[in-house]
Amino acid sequence: MLQPKRTKFRKAQKGRIKGTAKGGSSLNFGSYGLKAQKPARITSRQIEAARRAMTRQMKRVGRVWIRIFPDVPVSKKPTEVRMGKGKGAPEFWCAKVKPGRIMFEIDGVSDVIAREALRLGAAKLPVKTRVVARLGDN
Amino acid sequence: MAEFQEIKATAREHTGSAATRAIRRAGRVPGIIYGDQKPPKTISLDYGEVWRQVKTGTFLSTVFTVDLDGEKTRVIPRELQLDPVRDFPTHVDFLRLGKGARIAVEVPVSFINEEESPGLKRGGVLNVVRHTIEMLCPAESIPDSIEADVTGLDIGDSIHISNMKIPDDVELTITDRDFTVATIAGRMAEIIEEVVEDLEEGLEGEEGIEGEEGVEGEEGAEDGEDSQD
Repeated sequence: MLQPKRTKFRKAQKGRIKGTAKGGSSLNFGSYGLKAQKPARITSRQIEAARRAMTRQMKRVGRVWIRIFPDVPVSKKPTEVRMGKGKGAPEFWCAKVKPGRIMFEIDGVSDVIAREALRLGAAKLPVKTRVVARLGDN
Repeated sequence: MAEFQEIKATAREHTGSAATRAIRRAGRVPGIIYGDQKPPKTISLDYGEVWRQVKTGTFLSTVFTVDLDGEKTRVIPRELQLDPVRDFPTHVDFLRLGKGARIAVEVPVSFINEEESPGLKRGGVLNVVRHTIEMLCPAESIPDSIEADVTGLDIGDSIHISNMKIPDDVELTITDRDFTVATIAGRMAEIIEEVVEDLEEGLEGEEGIEGEEGVEGEEGAEDGEDSQD
């Protein structure tokens, strides 16, 4: 699973995801992509599950690019622990995704397979998405 | 070469975000025409007409004749702004073209004879490094696309710009190096990567169970985190 090698700080504040994507909203590598339509925090497990679903549908033909990286540590308090006494321990990593962000790209497969792979990948993500294709291809 | 397309436009008097939003609400796309040592003109175009042209994929390399309330101007789209979420056009910049103008345009690359590549037949992937190539060409003869022939290419081979046929009246903007346009990559490296990941996943599953046992304090969780590294 994806996670940073080293970070400056162990824990991060939650924050809010506001506005739309400023960059990464157009296809850069592949011919098809999966674009987020709502803001969301995507965990490294979800990214990996989506990647796996896509590569298995594509039967190891073609290529998948992951355009997001989970660099935000999310902490969690242990169960049955009272509130207070400091912030919980880092539990997992997530990527903050703004609407319009291309999260995955695919190339090297037919239109039908690419769309089906992206549909299966999107099912693993906690966000409404849309399949986009390179202009001229659709 | 793409034929000149005609596109109808109307002048818009007001500028600024409020005025442009009103234009978009009315089903039109705001735009501007500039260049050729003449003052810029703010215009608006029909949304459906712009979207039809954008969908072709060659919008930025097609010369248009803008009919601005009867006055015809030869232009080329320089920038197309799209809504980041829904991908509809929100603004178009047009560059006015004078007589004999040479312009830098991004021409799409099309790959041909993919069935005749032994590398692709063996399960290799065509890894496109550049989907478009920037070139300087006369406004009258902008190529529709540049063909890249992958006949006879095996896994590990690549297509460089020197292997491609470029029209005579066209000049490349990158001249200092023979850049790569596409490569044919093998699948072996990725398959090994996946197998390693599957093994790692198995190990992580075991660690996860250990982590659940040690939930008493922060120290235990920290140890778990270190062991994952």
